Amino acid sequence: MLIRRAERAARRGTLVGALGAESGGMDRRAFLRRSGLTAGALAAIGTLPVSGVRNAEAGPPPKPGIPVETRKSICTHCSVGCTVTAEVQNGVWLGQEPSWDSPINRGSHCSKGASVRELVRGERRLKYPTKLVDGKWVRISWDQAIGEIGDKLMAIRDKSGPDSVYWLGSAKFSNEAAYLFRKFAAFWGTNNADHQARICHSTTVAGVSNTWGYGAMTNSYNDIRNAKTLVIMGGNPAEAHPVSLQHLLEGKELNRANFIVIDPRMTRTAAHATDYVRIRPGTDIPVLWGMLWHIFQNGWEDKEFIRQRVYGIDEIRQEVAKWPPDEVERVSGIPGEQLKRIAEKFAKEKPATLIWAMGQTQHTVGTANVRASCIALLVTGNVGGFGNGANIFRGHDNVQGATDVGLDGSTLPFYYGLDEGAWRHWCRVWDVDYDWVQSRFASKQLMETAGVTSTRWFDATLMAKDQIDQPDNLRAMMVFGHAGSTITRMPEAKRGIEALDLLVVVDTVPTTWAVLSDRKNDVYLLPSGTQFESSGTRSASNRSLQWYDQIVKPIFEAKEDYEVIYLLAGKFGFAEQLFKHIKVENGVPSSEDLLREINRGSWSTGYTGQSPERLKLHRDHQKDFDLVTLRASDGPCKGEYYGLPWPCWGTPELKHPGTPTLYNTSLHVKDGGGTFRARFGVERNGVTLLAEGSYSAGSEIRDGYPEFTMAVLKKLGWDKDLTPQELAVIAKVGGNNTDAVAWSTDLSGGIQRVAIEHGCVPCGNGKARAVAWNLPDPVPVHREPIYSPRVDLVGKYPTLPDAKQFRVPNIGFTVQKSAVDRGVAKQFPLILSTGRFVDHEGGGEETRSNRWLAELRQDMYIEISPADALERGIKDGAWVWVTGAEYASKARMKALVTERVGKGVAWMPYHFAGWFQGVDQRRKYPQGADPFVLGESANTVTTYGYDPVTNMQEPKVTLCQITAA
Amino acid sequence: MARMKFLCDADRCIECNACATACKNENEVPWGLNRRRVVTINDGKPGERSVSMACMHCTDAPCQAVCPVECIYTTADGVVLHSKDQCIGCGYCFYACPFGAPQYPQVSNFGSRGKMDKCTFCAGGPEVHNSPEEYAKYGANRLAEGKLPLCAEMCSTKSLLAGEGEIVADIYKERVVTRGYGSGAWGWITAYGADTGV
Amino acid sequence: MAIRYARTPLAMCTLIRALIFLAIALIAVPVNAQQPQTQPQTPSAAQAPLVDPDASAVKEQNLLRESPRIEGTIVIPEPRESVLIQPAGRAWRFFHEVLLHWIGAVVIVGAIALLAIAYLSIGRIRISAGRSGRKVRRFNAFERFSHWLTAASFVVLALTGLNMTFGKLLLLPVLGPDTFSRVSEIAKYVHNFVSFPFVVGLVLIVALWIKDNIPRKVDIVWLKEGGGFVGSKHPQAGRFNAGEKLVFWFALGGGAAVAVSGYLLLFPFYVTNIAGMQLAQIVHSLIAVFFVAVILGHIYIGTLGMEGAFEAMGTGSVDLNWAEEHHRIWLDEEIAKGRGPTPAPEASTSPAE
Repeated sequence: MLIRRAERAARRGTLVGALGAESGGMDRRAFLRRSGLTAGALAAIGTLPVSGVRNAEAGPPPKPGIPVETRKSICTHCSVGCTVTAEVQNGVWLGQEPSWDSPINRGSHCSKGASVRELVRGERRLKYPTKLVDGKWVRISWDQAIGEIGDKLMAIRDKSGPDSVYWLGSAKFSNEAAYLFRKFAAFWGTNNADHQARICHSTTVAGVSNTWGYGAMTNSYNDIRNAKTLVIMGGNPAEAHPVSLQHLLEGKELNRANFIVIDPRMTRTAAHATDYVRIRPGTDIPVLWGMLWHIFQNGWEDKEFIRQRVYGIDEIRQEVAKWPPDEVERVSGIPGEQLKRIAEKFAKEKPATLIWAMGQTQHTVGTANVRASCIALLVTGNVGGFGNGANIFRGHDNVQGATDVGLDGSTLPFYYGLDEGAWRHWCRVWDVDYDWVQSRFASKQLMETAGVTSTRWFDATLMAKDQIDQPDNLRAMMVFGHAGSTITRMPEAKRGIEALDLLVVVDTVPTTWAVLSDRKNDVYLLPSGTQFESSGTRSASNRSLQWYDQIVKPIFEAKEDYEVIYLLAGKFGFAEQLFKHIKVENGVPSSEDLLREINRGSWSTGYTGQSPERLKLHRDHQKDFDLVTLRASDGPCKGEYYGLPWPCWGTPELKHPGTPTLYNTSLHVKDGGGTFRARFGVERNGVTLLAEGSYSAGSEIRDGYPEFTMAVLKKLGWDKDLTPQELAVIAKVGGNNTDAVAWSTDLSGGIQRVAIEHGCVPCGNGKARAVAWNLPDPVPVHREPIYSPRVDLVGKYPTLPDAKQFRVPNIGFTVQKSAVDRGVAKQFPLILSTGRFVDHEGGGEETRSNRWLAELRQDMYIEISPADALERGIKDGAWVWVTGAEYASKARMKALVTERVGKGVAWMPYHFAGWFQGVDQRRKYPQGADPFVLGESANTVTTYGYDPVTNMQEPKVTLCQITAA
Repeated sequence: MARMKFLCDADRCIECNACATACKNENEVPWGLNRRRVVTINDGKPGERSVSMACMHCTDAPCQAVCPVECIYTTADGVVLHSKDQCIGCGYCFYACPFGAPQYPQVSNFGSRGKMDKCTFCAGGPEVHNSPEEYAKYGANRLAEGKLPLCAEMCSTKSLLAGEGEIVADIYKERVVTRGYGSGAWGWITAYGADTGV
Repeated sequence: MAIRYARTPLAMCTLIRALIFLAIALIAVPVNAQQPQTQPQTPSAAQAPLVDPDASAVKEQNLLRESPRIEGTIVIPEPRESVLIQPAGRAWRFFHEVLLHWIGAVVIVGAIALLAIAYLSIGRIRISAGRSGRKVRRFNAFERFSHWLTAASFVVLALTGLNMTFGKLLLLPVLGPDTFSRVSEIAKYVHNFVSFPFVVGLVLIVALWIKDNIPRKVDIVWLKEGGGFVGSKHPQAGRFNAGEKLVFWFALGGGAAVAVSGYLLLFPFYVTNIAGMQLAQIVHSLIAVFFVAVILGHIYIGTLGMEGAFEAMGTGSVDLNWAEEHHRIWLDEEIAKGRGPTPAPEASTSPAE
C-alpha cells in the first residue's frame, strides 16, 4: 500500500520536510497574483517571508552542498527580448527559472525560450573547426583554420580587391559584436557586409525613417496595453512574437479593444481577433488607401494633427481618390464596406495602433507598404502618443540592434550613411586616420558606394563582371550566424556556392551552407558560441537595451564572436587599430569597452547614454519598472525607462531616462518626449517642413525648429551654455567650420545637452513627410508582385522599370513582363506565400537541432485549401510536389489541407532545410552535427523580386503549382 | 489543505508550446513522450481555440481506480502521482484517462509499453524529495521548493494557470467578467466534478 | 491507497449510461484527427466575409453534445494525442471496476458453485457397463498435442489475465505491493507471449476437428435428453456430442474474439482509436470470464465429472464400453473404418499399442 508522500518525507526526515516547505509557498502566490488582471486583486492572500536558504533545485539534478548561481540572459529567438534566468552549478547550466522581474516577459516564454538551455547542452552543436577536404569533413585546429582562411582571403584581396569578399553578419550578434563586425569590414576595405535585417525589416527602416526620421518601433510591446484599436496587418505575432500576445491580449481584455487582423491566412493571431478579413497577398496599399478613402470621404482625419505635424497630405488625397471601394475589392478581394468599418474604428476609437512584420515588408513594394501604413497613422493622428503608433515587430533577438549599429552595406553605424562626412565622423570615434581607412578600399568611390545586399550575393558571384559595379565578382563568402535557407532563389544560391573560391561558416551549427552545394573543397566551419556563452547588450524591438551575462563558457571548442573577429583581425594585421580603445583579455575583447565606444559615437540615434553601468543596474533592478509605462517608480533607476530605449540623449552622465514612445509631444524631452526629426530640410516648394505650433512639453521654442548645429545654437544664443571642454571638442571636430558641427557629430554631447536643457529635441522638430520625394515612389503606389496571378492588373499596376541597385541589376520589370507573356500564371495558378510558425525560428538551423523543439513539428509541409486539394486529389498528410515558377524548381513535402488559407493561396513555413528538390542531404552534414529534423526549404521554389530601395526579397507572394506525389 | 488544479484559459492560449517544452526542459522528458501537449479545435477556422492539456490531477482519478497494481496515488494536495517501480505498463490508465495524460515509452516487443510516465504537477514521485533518483524517474520536484509547475509559470500569455484550485478559479472568473467572454474551464467538470461557474 | 469508486449497485442510470457509451463506441469509426471537423466551405476572396473570430469560439459542452469526444489538431506526430477530452474513459472505468468485477465474480464463482452442486448431486458419471478392458483409439498424438498446447496456454492466459482484474483484490494484500508488482509485470509478459501458442493451438484444433463438430440432428436429440446427465439414459452422439460441440464453437468464436481483441490490445492504436481500444478491452475481458467458466465446466467433465473421459486426451485411447455408451455413432464409424477396439486383454499377448 503506498503511503502518502508527506508521511514518507517525514519518515525519511528530508531537509525540505524540516524546512516545512508545504504547499502555499510565497513564490506560488506571487505567480498567481501576476496572472490576475489587476495587480492587487488577490493581495488579500498576504505574503509569506521568503525562506533564506535555497535548497538544491531540481535540475538534471543539482548536487547538494555546492552553490547554485543565478544568471540572467536574453532569449536568442525574437525581438521581444524575454529575460532568461539560468541556474548554474560548477559551470553547468542546470535549469531555467521564470524571470518574474522582467517587465517585458514577467516569467513567460514561448516554446523556443523555454528550451534555450538545450542550445548549450549542445547535442548537435558544431564542436570544433572543420574543413571540407575532397568531400569529407575533417577536424582541424583553430590556428590552422585562421591561418588558411586568412591566406586565402589575402590572395583573393590581392588579385581581385577587397570587394570580392562578402562579410555576412548576424542579427544574433550582440550590439557590440555587430558594431565590431561592421568596423572590421570597414578596416578590411569593403561595404559588402549585411545581416538578416535585409530580408526582414530593411524596407521598414528605409520607409519609416524616410517618413518621420527614425525607422524603428515607435512605442513598445508593453505600451500596446493602452490601445483601444489594434490593426495587425502583415504580421502573426501569436506565432512570431508569442510573449507579445501577453500584452496585446491583456490590453484587449482590459480596454475591450478592437483587435483587427488583416491577413491572407486565418492565423493563430486572427483566432483571437474581434474582426478578421482576408486579403490577397501583395495588395496592402490598395487596402490602406481604401481605408483612407473612407476616412477622407467622411472627414474622419485628424485635421489638427495634419496641419501641425504632417507635410504633403494633399498628394496623398489625390492618390487615395483612385481607390474607391470597388477598385479596392477588384484588386485586393476585400469588399469596400468592410474596410469602412475598420477605417472608422481606426480613426475614431483611439488610440489606435498599426502592427506589422514581414507581411508588409517582404515585397517589391515593401518600402511603399510601410510608408502607406505610416501615412494612415499620420492622417488619423495615431502617432506620438500612448497606445498608438507604428508598432513594428522586428524579427531576431538583436536585429534591431544590429540594424542600429549599422551592419549594413549602405551605411556606417547608426545610420550616418557612407559619404565622406560619415567616414570622417567614425574615423574620429575610432581614433584612426581617415586616409589610412580610405587606403584600405579599392577606391574612394567604392568606399562611398553601398555594397551588394545579402539577397543578391550569388548574382554578384555568378554574373559577368561587367554587370556589377565593382572590380571583380564576389569570390569568398564569410557567413557569421546567418541561415543558408532564408534567401530566395536557392537553386541559384547553390550554383553561387559552387562558384566561390572559399566559403567560411562561423556558427553554432553547420547550417544549410555546409550541405546545399556539391562543393568538395574549400569550405570551413568554425564553431562560435551562442549568446549564452558570451556577454554584451541586445536591443529589443522597442529599442530597449538589455545587458546580459555569460551563463557558461563556450562549449567544446567554440569561441565567442568577439574572439573570432579578433583572430581574423590579427591575421590581417589591423588588430591594433581595430581594438585601439578596447581591452582584450585572453583573446576575448571586452564587450563593456565596445559598448563604451558605441556610446562615444552614436549621437545620431541616441545610443550614447546607455553605458554598461546604467544597463547593468537596470538588469539588477528589473522589478522596479512598471508594466505599462516601463518607468521605474522606485529604487536606484527611479525615473528611467527600462533598458533606456533609444534615443537616450547625451552622455551617460546626463542620465537621460530613455525614450519609450517616439515623437511623443506630451512629455518633456527630459522625460522621454520627442518630435519628428527635421531630417529632410527646412522647406520645400515654399512649404515649411518644420512643425507648426506643435512642440514637446516644456520646449522653449514653441514651434518647429531645425536640427541643432553650432550655427543654430549661436543664433539662439545658447552656445554660451556650452562648457569649455565641450567647446574644445567641438572645435576639434569642426576644424575650420565649427558652425557645421551638429548634434550628431559633436563628440562631446554638449550640443545635445544644451538643446535638452532648453526643452528642445536635438534632432529638430519637423513635420513627417507623407511624400518622400527621394524615393522611387514618392507617394506609395500599388504595384503587382513580380509573379502575380492577376495578369489583368499587371498592365495597370506594373512594377518599377529595371534599374541598377546595390551594384547589381534589378530586372524585376523584365521578369514580370516575361511572366505575363509566357502565361506563367496558368501553369502555376496558386499564390505561394511563406512565413513562420512558433516552434522554429528563422531558417531553423538552431531550432531543428534542439531536440525539445524538433520533436514538435517533424515534417515540412504546405498549407492548401480544401477546394484546391480536392481539385488535385490531394489528401491531408499526403506527400506532394510543389513546383516553382523559376529554375524548374521543385520540392517534396506533406500537404496540410486546411481552411486557414483561402482558395487559390498556399503557404509554407521557411524553417526547414536539409532536403533539396526531393533529395535528403543528411549524409552531407558533419558527423554528429546534423539537425534532428530535415525538410525542404521554402526558398527552393521562391523567385526573383526586389524592392528598389533596399533590395528586399519577395518571398511573401509568388506562384506555384502543387501535385500529388 | 490546498487542492492543486490546472486551468487553461483557451481564450488566451495561442498554441505557443512553451508549456510543452518547459516541461521537457525541466523534467528532461525523452523524445516521444509528451507529458503536456496543446490541442487546437477548429484549426484555421473562426472559432478556433487551443487548449493545453496534461494530467488534470482529477478528483477520484479514474487512472488510480483502474490500475491493476494500484501504483497511482493522490497526495494531500490533490496531485496524482504514481510509482514507476510498481507500474507494469499495462496501459489501462490511458483507457480510463479522459485527457490522454499517461505516456508510455516504446519497448522492444510488439507495441509493448514501458513504465507509464505523465505530468506530475512538478511534484516528483514517491522517492525522496529532489534526490537524483526522483529526478531520474519523475523529473523535477518544484512543489517541494514552494514553486509551481514550470509549464504554467512560463506560459507566454498567462493562459495556463496552476496552483490552488480556488485561486485559479478566481483568477479565471475575474478575467471573464472583465473581458466579457470565456469559453470555459476546459475539462473541469470531467476532472473535478464542478465548473468555475463562468 | 485506492479511492474506491462509489458503488451504486447497478443503478439503472449508470448502467444505461455505460451501455450508451459502449454503443457509441461500437459505431464510432476511428477518426483521422487531421481531417477538418466540418464540411469545407471556401468562399472566394471576393466574398470573404468580415468575421468576428472571438464570437464563434468553441465551447466544451457544445462539442460534447455533438460527439462523444473532443478531437483537434496537434503538431506532434502521434495521432492518439489529438483527443483532447474523452469522457468515455470514466464509463470504461465503471465497466472495468464495477461491472467486470461483478460479472466476473458471479460467472466464475457461479460456475464453480454449479459444478460443485453437480458433483455433489449427480456425482461422477460412471461407465454403466463397467470397463471392458478393450481400448479404442480416440485422439492421435498430434490431436492431443494440439489440445494440450491450447489447454495449457489457456490456463496460463486465464490466470495471468484474471490477475489484471482480480489480482489487486486477492493477491496484493497477500504479497505486498512490490512483490505483487513484480509478479504482475511478469504475468503481463507471460500473457502476451503465451497468446501465440494459444492461437496456434486453437487454429490446429479448429483445423483438426471442425468437420466433426458440425451440428447434426442427433445433437438436438442429445440436448433434449439433457445429455444424459440426469437420469440413466445414454443419448446417442457422434465423435463429439452436442455439449462438446458447444464447447468447440464457443472456443472457436470466443477464442477468435479474445485473440483479435487481444492483439488489438497488444498493438495499441495501430488500427484503432481510443474508443476502439476501450471496446477491445471490454470484449476481451467479458468473453474471457465467460470462457473461463465454460472451460471450468469442460475441465470438470473431462476429469472429475466423468469416468473414462480423461484418458481420451491423456493416452489417446478410451474404453470400448465408454465409447459405446457415450459416442456410439462414432464407435460404429470407427469400427467400419477398421479402427476398431483392441482385443480383450486375455486374448492377446502383444501390447495394445
